[in-house]
Amino acid sequence: MNDRDGTSLRLAIVVDEACARVYEAWEGRARVTALRVNPAVYEAVAVARPGEVRRGYPLMLLGMELVPDEGVATYEPAVVKEEAC
Amino acid sequence: MLTAEENERLCRVGPDTPMGKVLRRYWTPAFQLGDLPEPDCPPIQVPLLGETFVAFRDTNGTLGFLDDLCLHRGASLALGRVEACGIRCLYHGWKFAADGTILETPNFPGSTFKDRVKQGSYPVRESGGLGWVYLGPPGTEPPFPSFRWAAASPDQIAVSEMIMDCNWMQVQEGSIDSSHVGILHLDTLAVTDPRPRAVGSFEFAGQPWDTGIAPQWRRQGLGWPSHDNGPKIEVEHTPFGFHYAALRDASEPGKQYVRVTAFVIPYTAFIAGTTGSVIVVPRDDTSCSLYLAANVPAGANGRSGGGGMNQGIDPSVWGPERGNRRLRIPSQDREAMASGRSYAGYRGGNRIQDAAVQMSEGTIYDRRREHLVPADLAIIRMRRLLTDSMKLVEEGKPPLGLGEGYDFSLVSGAAAVVDAGTRWQDLVPGNLGVPAGTAVADDSPEP
Repeated sequence: MNDRDGTSLRLAIVVDEACARVYEAWEGRARVTALRVNPAVYEAVAVARPGEVRRGYPLMLLGMELVPDEGVATYEPAVVKEEAC
Repeated sequence: MLTAEENERLCRVGPDTPMGKVLRRYWTPAFQLGDLPEPDCPPIQVPLLGETFVAFRDTNGTLGFLDDLCLHRGASLALGRVEACGIRCLYHGWKFAADGTILETPNFPGSTFKDRVKQGSYPVRESGGLGWVYLGPPGTEPPFPSFRWAAASPDQIAVSEMIMDCNWMQVQEGSIDSSHVGILHLDTLAVTDPRPRAVGSFEFAGQPWDTGIAPQWRRQGLGWPSHDNGPKIEVEHTPFGFHYAALRDASEPGKQYVRVTAFVIPYTAFIAGTTGSVIVVPRDDTSCSLYLAANVPAGANGRSGGGGMNQGIDPSVWGPERGNRRLRIPSQDREAMASGRSYAGYRGGNRIQDAAVQMSEGTIYDRRREHLVPADLAIIRMRRLLTDSMKLVEEGKPPLGLGEGYDFSLVSGAAAVVDAGTRWQDLVPGNLGVPAGTAVADDSPEP
């Protein structure tokens, strides 16, 4: 599984960056509802979890549902959040 | 979660693997000094990072750490005789000095061969009850990490070793995983918490609390002052790797229970509130040694070998062999679990409980399947730093966390109940390289 520059995709970086963003959002008292990720990341997660895909489960990372988004760079996942009331 | 390729790179440790090349750039704990107690004592075979070595102490007390297989015909030098300032291969009598120099070749007398070739040998240091070796390219040794517990006199250092049949990364991840402590270790918390808990008993807490390595919070009567099992994790990079704080709501209103763990890349974790470290070293891809090294009161348990450090552990985990260190998971006491006398059902305390779950993941856990959560941030960060180090080494650069110029005796963990909002970094002032009570002099050049 490669990213766009042809090197191996490093989910270790994606997860670390996503986790930092989740904590940032929580710091701002927001509720994180999903993660937007580059389609290459989404595909890598799908490949890694064929059982969950087969069962029709949503793809999750850090407990958040993944949303593929062409506008998101490979190593810059973004949180989808609801501001707290 | 990792891709299959990342998982392989993270877990495989042989000399030609990316992680193996990284690990060989650090001083590596290889054996207990107690296993080589005196000059000319029997040698020991040391499986380490997917290779096999022999360690011995020569007539002068000098340690040698050599490739195990004799360069003549490949017999194990661990079978050999340690005598007259060297180790002699049992097969044809070739004899080697501690630095690998060939001293004698009885079946090839008069040859200059021995002047031109050496048995593979590696730098070795004695520190804190452990023999440390450097397996990296000659001339690239980083500064030796002299940790604070190693500065004590030998009778105040206790070392134990458990050999676990699983990949080292499963064990290392457990050593920096704060959010399991308030759950898996409920048996221990039951006897350290000043307030009654619904489950657990001393019978199953079994950790060697009487050897003086009990966490500071118990000595201070703090118990485990929180019922918050969803800690917030904050990570900060340091010269040696990172330290992280697990922040929990304390039982007392307005207070926070903080546990700071320092992770020294790649082997060592200074566990919050203890006097020592957990050190996890791969023997090969599917087994590892878990060393527990700690300061203890003089006379309490100050001998390497760790017999006393294993007090309270169900003897059946070691099997029938005398001195066996290879852990077997004991059967769970389901009756005790059902009755509330135990949560986990293992006699032996934290280390047995940890080992049981870590080995239950299989010999090499497939991290494609996992579902990490934000409370796993320290594990996530460790993986990133290790994979970053692999990339650096592949580019011909040194890996992260070598701590050039850093005083490793400053590294510590901490545990405390503090006012909410208190800076946890102030509990471990040495971790960033600043001794307590001093200011940082900014001597960086002007841009």
